[in-house]
Amino acid sequence: MSQRITVLVEHLEGQPTDVTFELLGLARRIAKTNGAAVEALLFGETVRHLAQTLPADRVVMVEHPLLRYLAPEATAITLTTLLRTDPPWLVLIPNTSLGMDVAAWVAATLDWPLIAYCEALEQHDGQLVATAQLFGGKILADVKLEDRPTVISALAGTFATDALPPAPPGTIEHRDPPAELAALRTRSVVLERPEAADVDITRAEKIVAVGRGIESKDNLELAEQVAEALGAVLAASRPLVDAGWLPRSRQVGKSGLKVKPKLYFALGISGAPEHLEGMKDAELIIAVNKDPKAPIFSVADYGVVADLFEVAEALLERLEG
Amino acid sequence: MLTTSERIAFVLIALASLLLTAHGVSRIVRAIARGQGRPTWGLFFRRVIPVSLDILLQRPIFRTRPLVSALHAGVFFAFVFYGLVNILDLAEGFTGFSTLHRGGIAALYNLIADLLSVAALVGMVGLLVRRFGLRPFRFNERVFLLPSVRFGISRDSAIVGGFILLHVGSRWVGQAVRIAESERADWSQPTASLVAALFHGWSEAALTTASHVTWWLALGLILAFLPYFPYSKHIHLFMAPLNLILREERPLGQLEPPTSSNGALGAERLEQLRWYQLLDGYACIMCNRCQDVCPAHGTGRALSPAALEINKRYYLNRNLGAFAGGATSPPLLEIATTKEAVWSCTTCAACVRICPVGNRPMLDLIDIRRALVNQGDPLDPNLQAALESLARYGNSFGKPARQRARWTKELPFPIKDARKEPVEYLWFVGDFASFDPRMQENTKIVAQLFHAAELDFGILYEDERNTGNDVRRVGEEGLFEMLVEQNLAALEKAQFRAIVTTDPHSYNALRNEYPAYGFQVPVYHYTELLADLLERGRLRVQQPLTAAVTYHDPCYLGRYNRITAAPRRILHALGLELREMPRHGENTYCCGAGGGRIWMDSGGQERPSEQRIREAVALGEDLRYFVVACPKDMAMYSDAVKTTGYEAQLTVIDVARLVAMAVGINGLERESISVTTEAP
Amino acid sequence: MTIVVVMEQVPDVVEELVIAPSGTDLDRDAVSYVINEYDDHALEEALLLAEATGDEVVAVGIDTTGELDQALYTALAKGARRAIKVTGDFEGAWLSTRAAAQLLVPVIKELDPRLVLTGVQAPDDLDGQLAPTLSALLGWPHASVVISSEIADGVVRARKELWAGITMTLELELPAVLGVQAARQAPRYVPISRVRQVMREASIETREVEPVGDLAPSLMRLRFPAETSQAEMLTGNASEIADRLIELLRARGLL
Repeated sequence: MSQRITVLVEHLEGQPTDVTFELLGLARRIAKTNGAAVEALLFGETVRHLAQTLPADRVVMVEHPLLRYLAPEATAITLTTLLRTDPPWLVLIPNTSLGMDVAAWVAATLDWPLIAYCEALEQHDGQLVATAQLFGGKILADVKLEDRPTVISALAGTFATDALPPAPPGTIEHRDPPAELAALRTRSVVLERPEAADVDITRAEKIVAVGRGIESKDNLELAEQVAEALGAVLAASRPLVDAGWLPRSRQVGKSGLKVKPKLYFALGISGAPEHLEGMKDAELIIAVNKDPKAPIFSVADYGVVADLFEVAEALLERLEG
Repeated sequence: MLTTSERIAFVLIALASLLLTAHGVSRIVRAIARGQGRPTWGLFFRRVIPVSLDILLQRPIFRTRPLVSALHAGVFFAFVFYGLVNILDLAEGFTGFSTLHRGGIAALYNLIADLLSVAALVGMVGLLVRRFGLRPFRFNERVFLLPSVRFGISRDSAIVGGFILLHVGSRWVGQAVRIAESERADWSQPTASLVAALFHGWSEAALTTASHVTWWLALGLILAFLPYFPYSKHIHLFMAPLNLILREERPLGQLEPPTSSNGALGAERLEQLRWYQLLDGYACIMCNRCQDVCPAHGTGRALSPAALEINKRYYLNRNLGAFAGGATSPPLLEIATTKEAVWSCTTCAACVRICPVGNRPMLDLIDIRRALVNQGDPLDPNLQAALESLARYGNSFGKPARQRARWTKELPFPIKDARKEPVEYLWFVGDFASFDPRMQENTKIVAQLFHAAELDFGILYEDERNTGNDVRRVGEEGLFEMLVEQNLAALEKAQFRAIVTTDPHSYNALRNEYPAYGFQVPVYHYTELLADLLERGRLRVQQPLTAAVTYHDPCYLGRYNRITAAPRRILHALGLELREMPRHGENTYCCGAGGGRIWMDSGGQERPSEQRIREAVALGEDLRYFVVACPKDMAMYSDAVKTTGYEAQLTVIDVARLVAMAVGINGLERESISVTTEAP
Repeated sequence: MTIVVVMEQVPDVVEELVIAPSGTDLDRDAVSYVINEYDDHALEEALLLAEATGDEVVAVGIDTTGELDQALYTALAKGARRAIKVTGDFEGAWLSTRAAAQLLVPVIKELDPRLVLTGVQAPDDLDGQLAPTLSALLGWPHASVVISSEIADGVVRARKELWAGITMTLELELPAVLGVQAARQAPRYVPISRVRQVMREASIETREVEPVGDLAPSLMRLRFPAETSQAEMLTGNASEIADRLIELLRARGLL
């Protein structure tokens, strides 16, 4: 084991996702305190162009057609092979749909410990401590990192990217794909992108977002009216989209879209971590919820503990009147 | 008098006709007997006289539509009397016995027959003009009707109407002919004597022929009609009284447990209905009164209780032989109604109460729901979430049971824990009153009133569960039983004399459903208690209120349990001016929340509660309060008054809050008090 | 053929969670358990698959709470053919995902299924998710965050959700492991009477196991998130709040 922090680079067909830079930023912050090296593992079909852009001391690149989409089996096998031959201290994997497929698999295969849903990684009394979210973020678990290779599955949208100046370009190393890729039991991988949406909520300046608190589909009309009166677009949290009340294109959150509007007006959204991940960077967040303990209030600028219907109606009256 | 050949012909035709009729009737009886359960025949002997009296006085039918009911009464009284008339006419045809120009009792008989004939003819013409001229019987376009029903209703009405007109008309004209033959007016048959003038100058032979023809048209027509009779709506003549007589003695608010055939609960098919539900189809006279009062149909939903009954009969009529012989019927959702209709029922029981022939279409809908739930048919997602929450937490709000009594913490005094110390009244608070933040304010007010009146009361805290009233009506019998068991276990721990509830649905379950599980305790609605406390001076009105108000009777209080006086006594005691909406008391109109509807999506359609607010607004612009006595009503009407835009004009308020204003309970906002006293 | 669904009971987060004095576990006496909501979706997806293929669904769970029966009976009532409860001395232990997977592997191998489904995650996973862990230990291919699946021509076609409506459809050779995010349709409702009937008529098989050594990360402590309520709370009645909101929006040029 060397004092090295390894980050798995996530991208979609060559487009890196934000979380990649968040995890590299995190790795570099830790490295700065203990002098560890930061390594980025870059897998894909043709990803050479990406290697130059990664702020890491070393980029290790594996190219193979089967790695094109970072599908579970090929990624996990490639990652395991590299880690086994040269174990680092920490392996940072995004806790995203793609990362979740591989983190636990790799850790179980190598018999290394894994800390999932990690939202903080900080020094405490000379010890590096990981904080993981449990029970939908209602409880946090502090875990001491030991002096052995450990896999960390880190939440997206949680760690800052811009804490350090750009890194000097590191070395870029090519590795051959592992031989096992020839015998995958994944027959095919197809990526589907949604058809163009009716509105692009990621570009909206103002968003009125509704959650479970809206109670029934009938009540969406009220939210729509408020949105219209504010000149905002209507978005929703996952449960409403799952229920089919609004199209996927309106879903804000980890499994939906990440938004950064000037105004995010949340009605009846309690603020599951999945949702907060998608909206906490909005410039102004106003949240209305019945439950004073709703996590949404931890990211909101202004909070209202009240019946959302009463507030929405009163607001509508003033906006229209 | 008939000729010999006419007599032989009549007897032969009568035999054939009776045989055919008997065949039809026996098939219907066998079809009805395929239903589940058996009548309690003991009821027959106890009920036959009182129910017959009711029917003779046409009581069930005069509940609404006075003019139409009067027309029907004319036809009905004539029909009853024509039983005698036909026998005597038969005797006249065969023996020559005649009541013409006789005095005494015969003259009285003639007079009655003469006048009733006219009443029947006028009534029938009136009814036919109404049915075919005014066409009042329409179903909204979402209502499912069997193809044979669309045309069948008109045809059946035309045949039955035509028969009555011809039968009564021929007899009436026949009497006129006989009067003409006798060449002098019969003062005991004034109208027929008038008609007799038409035959002035007819030859004797012509009059004889006319006499024979009218006799045959009057009596022979019966023979022709008789075999059709079992398949016509006219069979209500027998089935309706039978239905009313054999109706088991069960409170409206108590359901029978679902029927079970081969492990399948509820009614998926006709033969899984109970016998009386099949009889309902034959008792139905297609008057559509039930549809008129149905809140689901009234708001454009697919439900028509009338169409359900009519479809059942038309399906049976068309497939009677096979069904009576034991053939499996298609699913009710293919022949009687639709899923949308089944789920739109609010179980308000307006259809049951209004039906002049004692039908209970609501029970069919509940039985179909039971079958759907038990087959695992996909449920409305909100309903499913509510049921899952009820199973897990005992409330529909998805809140831990521990939070049920959280509202008590905001009171300045503790509420007794009835599980730990004896109380006089156990307050069964109910889900909405306990958990809905909008209702909790009212709940606290009720507590303060009880406290101010020094009532000895307590609650079950986290051990109270939803009573399951609406769970049972959704068709989830197992969950209902589970909730009953849990509540009974909690109630067993407590010592109390009587129960008081805030919620009419809980009231109904505790009062009518729980006794079947061995729970027999006096149950009061809080309005009954508050009325008493006010009248006995334990709550004193400090400042009488002066506003004009209207009061909405909750279905499960007013209609199901006939508690209509207590809330009005309260309003009176507070000095308020009560204006009744046209539909009030037992005829109240549903808010749309019952039978589990409150947990389902309204599908964006108009809600009955919105119609109700308009009904109230029509009572005058100065009407200040829409008074409710049910937490679900508070929820429904608070919404409806906003969506209809009358929020500024009309305030939805719980009766307890009015009491609190008048008696001056501490902590109630001054604002609301001053608003009332300002009212003119 | 067999489809195994692995179900886990987890603390109900609707109830207030209390941290035990030890600081490293919840106060288990204050906890009430529910079936992990994702496992419920996995069961639904398995039942839908089985309805199409005629497979037999077997529900398997580790009884760490002593209350697993209820969940397994519910699974049987919904349509699972068999239910297996793994029992052992788990008292006072917080079973890690890795340890759970190690206990489950022999049971799954015995059942010889062609597909294993479980929830994509559980609220008490600290050391990662069960599906990929099982996949690694069994050596079978896998996909997580699955939102629909289909068995055809000896493969399972699983559609997984990435983000922003983007999906990835994978064809995996059987046997395979899926971590289900959401079933194709909402988990079915099972009437209580059916559950009660199943409780009278069906039985749950048990497999007694020895707890395995645990490689859980060394947990220092559990804590509640700091009250980072940076939000300025607006109070008053609805109209006062609305007035404040309008004011705020105007001040920022958002109106």
